[in-house]
Amino acid sequence: MGEYALLYILFAPFVGALALILVSNRQPLLVRGIAAGSAFVSLIASIYIFYAYDVDKGGFQFVQKFEWSRELGIALHLGVDGIATPLVLASSILLFTGIFVSWHIKDRTKEFYIWLLILAAATIGVFMSLDLFFLYFFYEMSVIPMYLLLGMWGSHTKQYLEMTDPDGLKLRDSVGFILNFGSNSKEYAAMKLVLFLSAFAVAALMGILLIYKYIGLNTFDILVLREHAKLLNIPVLGTTLDKIIWVLIFFGFASIAPLWPLHSWSPVGHAAAPAATSMLHAGVLMKLGHFSIIRVAFEILPDTTREMMPIAAVLCIFSIMYGGFVAFYAKDTKYVIGYSSSSHMGYVFLGMAALNYISLTGAVIYMFAHAMATGMLFAMAGWVYDQTHTRDLPSLGGLSNKMPFISGCFIVGCMASIGMPGTVNFIAEIMIIVGSWNKYPFQVIVAVLGIVLTLAYLFKMMRSVFYGPMSQKYSHAHDAVGVVDRLPLLIMIAVTVGFGLFPMHLYDVVRSGVDPLIARITQVVPVASGDRDTLNVKRDATDHSSGTEQTAASSHLARVTPQASRGLE
Amino acid sequence: MTFSLALSVADLLLLLPEIFLTCWLCLIVIVDFAFPRMSKDQLAFLSVGGLVATFACLVWFDVSHISGTLFANMFVLDRMALFFKMFIVATTALVILVSVQYVDRFRFFRGEYYVLVVMSALGMMFMSSANDLLSLFVSLEFSTLGFYVLVGYLREDLASNEAGLKFFILGVFAAGLLAYGISLVYGETGKLVFSDMHLTATSGTIIGFLLIFTALGFKIGAVPFHSWIPDTYHGAPTPVTAFLSLAPKGAALAILLRIFFVALATFKPVWVVLLVAVAILSMTYANIVAIAQRNIKRLLAYSGIAQIGNVLIGLAAGTKMGSDAILFYLLAYLFANIGAFAVVIAISQAIGSEEIDDYSGLNRRSPFLAFAMLLFLLSLAGVPPLAGFIGKLYIFVAAIKEGLYTLITVALINIVISMYYYLVVVKKMYINEPTDPSPVFISGPMKAVIYVGLAGTLVIGIYPQPFIDWIIGATLMFSNFAAQSTIVIPPTPPFGG
Repeated sequence: MGEYALLYILFAPFVGALALILVSNRQPLLVRGIAAGSAFVSLIASIYIFYAYDVDKGGFQFVQKFEWSRELGIALHLGVDGIATPLVLASSILLFTGIFVSWHIKDRTKEFYIWLLILAAATIGVFMSLDLFFLYFFYEMSVIPMYLLLGMWGSHTKQYLEMTDPDGLKLRDSVGFILNFGSNSKEYAAMKLVLFLSAFAVAALMGILLIYKYIGLNTFDILVLREHAKLLNIPVLGTTLDKIIWVLIFFGFASIAPLWPLHSWSPVGHAAAPAATSMLHAGVLMKLGHFSIIRVAFEILPDTTREMMPIAAVLCIFSIMYGGFVAFYAKDTKYVIGYSSSSHMGYVFLGMAALNYISLTGAVIYMFAHAMATGMLFAMAGWVYDQTHTRDLPSLGGLSNKMPFISGCFIVGCMASIGMPGTVNFIAEIMIIVGSWNKYPFQVIVAVLGIVLTLAYLFKMMRSVFYGPMSQKYSHAHDAVGVVDRLPLLIMIAVTVGFGLFPMHLYDVVRSGVDPLIARITQVVPVASGDRDTLNVKRDATDHSSGTEQTAASSHLARVTPQASRGLE
Repeated sequence: MTFSLALSVADLLLLLPEIFLTCWLCLIVIVDFAFPRMSKDQLAFLSVGGLVATFACLVWFDVSHISGTLFANMFVLDRMALFFKMFIVATTALVILVSVQYVDRFRFFRGEYYVLVVMSALGMMFMSSANDLLSLFVSLEFSTLGFYVLVGYLREDLASNEAGLKFFILGVFAAGLLAYGISLVYGETGKLVFSDMHLTATSGTIIGFLLIFTALGFKIGAVPFHSWIPDTYHGAPTPVTAFLSLAPKGAALAILLRIFFVALATFKPVWVVLLVAVAILSMTYANIVAIAQRNIKRLLAYSGIAQIGNVLIGLAAGTKMGSDAILFYLLAYLFANIGAFAVVIAISQAIGSEEIDDYSGLNRRSPFLAFAMLLFLLSLAGVPPLAGFIGKLYIFVAAIKEGLYTLITVALINIVISMYYYLVVVKKMYINEPTDPSPVFISGPMKAVIYVGLAGTLVIGIYPQPFIDWIIGATLMFSNFAAQSTIVIPPTPPFGG
């Protein structure tokens, strides 16, 4: 495979979807087999690129370029750097596991897998696009499968939306309440998701078109455009053009991330979606937002990013706290996890806003880690829902007797979400916190409080689902016993814990993508010596004399911490 | 200007497609008359055969670059005319295929239906070659004549009668305006051929061209002149609606391109304002009103008005690239729209209804029809990887190069609005459960049309380059309008940080 690995990853699900069209719905095993097979090809190829990625060389690797339209200046230009590689891996893991999680779907199985494969392939396509047109192409392409998956196989939210505290006071998602119109059907959730995302996506498209016009090279190629960002620095409307473009791009893509206050589509969508879709939605679809901001705004407009990124630092506080509090009071399992996801995405924004090597590396690792953790939680919430047909926290309880395996995995999932040492989330969180401390101490305090809040709501949810007295209604509920049911959870746990214990390769890969980016944005250049065990940092030409040589300590984290304090300000 | 009818064989060659189709038309009439007991299906296939032969002839012209002018520049055969002729002939053939079963609903004159359809097509073929105001008027009226009859073809149906009457009255009114506008322009300039006019902005020419634009705006159904569209589309027999929503728009756009890009080239700053206003009105009004529609034909009618708003963005760009974008957009629109109408006809044959509510659970009744409709609607909405997305993007790129920011912003917002009403139909088909779960069957010709639509929508969306090359060749005559920005693609820098 080698150099064509990206094509395998991207097109295997598409080919699988095409093959499924020819298969009859009366052969469910063949349908699932084809879906799992094509996802497996994708998974193997992305594991391959993850380990074959040359961290010393860095930059974009496995590059493929095909002319697509000369007149419009579009080429199918694919390539991954250190930031995209782990996200591609996460997408294909979640696709593969998602196929097993939805193994028991009986209704229109074939169509379900077709749309799931297209959704996953489209998100993977965004992660590897080096062409603005194709980035948008795949981004927009991922929205419609979401609509059908939610609408056809989703579930109504019904009364779960009524979130009341013990005294009977109504606590609702205020923004959601305003835009919810009292409706909580799956059709509504699906429509809201599509319209919300499309509305903001067209803002991003406007930004992309402005970049295309003002750089004026008749190309959408990111690698070409980023060399000419200076051309965008023209005064218009009392500000400069690059700021307008940046705002369009940032908020256009931040809606899918979802950054407060653009988040209201997301928990509704999570709650309505079937388990595998929630997994992909929370696991990778939301990362499209951060990733596209990094790929478009950070790559093409580095100077503007440096100026404007404090916006994200402000909004991420609201994301973290707001999402956390609503998750605490929510009474629907999927709502809790959904809001927890949008709260956790605030950490990624914090890591991105601080704009230094440690925090951005942390943010990217966090995206990967969160994909696994939230994928696990959604898969298990889906299992519980399939068994009990309710997601209402107060009416659940005591399921640990019935499903010991699931509740065991749930504990691991919660631990991962909280960021327990030993999981990859811990590494990511600590890097974001350490990296952002010098620049945004207040946000870091909020983030730490957010972790406490995460602990609170996840444990509260765990208690009310798995412990306490069990209603006799659920006596028929059973555990995940078959290989098919256990495999996805075990894969995700293995990945989370595996990278938690041995993060070096993940760290190196991400670092090789983050380094050149931060160097361009902050003009702080990292100078790695020939020996990768010692990372030397040169802050600035002026500060060079202050002695930047630092020998790495034995521990990996001890090694990154001193840099954090110096890579900042 | 001398007018001579002394045609050489080489001149006649330029008219070959039209002459051939005219002969074929006579053949259809004769066959219908001579064999009254012959199944009308065979008549349909006979017409399609003639159209396919005509299409082949047009392809031959296009490949071998046959071009020229006739009748003292009244009739021009260039690659753009060939594009529009192919567009019209292809549309007509597809429309006849979807009509095969529908024609059984007509109590009388089933054979004449095909004659009228081909006759209108012939008129529109002349229209796309029209190069002066006189031939414009004659060919436009010639093509509309057939439509007046076709729209009211369901004689027992009040809605169809109303549609026919409304279309006739407004159509004749528009013809009057066109004739008045032509007389004013001719009175001021003394010229009729577009390329000969050296216009000065006198009140006569301004009013004259405004009137001509009004008449053509009526043909394409842009907003201030759209009022006939919803009722006519609703009442007309559905295949006629499909025909009406494609071919006349193509022919009228050929004329609009020639008028704006050739005759009025020097007045670009003035007409850009007019077109921007009309485009914004068309898109916004049609998309908002479409939300409230309960009938799929009315929905598609309003969607068609909105699509014309998008096309006018390309016209407003006023560049070579803008004209390319228009042609490309029409191509994408052709496949999506004929496909959508084919599905509508198939369903109306099966369940006898055109209300959106009756599309509930179509996915369970006929997964193929639902999937086809899904792709056609999404292509109209402009969702990748379908043709409509590339078409919209092409138009936006052409427009942003001319700096039409307001227009593009409005168009982008409109994409989101339109997404809503297309998805409402998708919701009915896919999410709602059917009231009557019996499967829906489709006839062979209908299936063929749907396959053609699907193939076009997907192929143009995934691999548009050959089509772009074709349309760029077709609009070479407008290259003096090319945008100033030079097309230079610098070598890609080495990969990596």
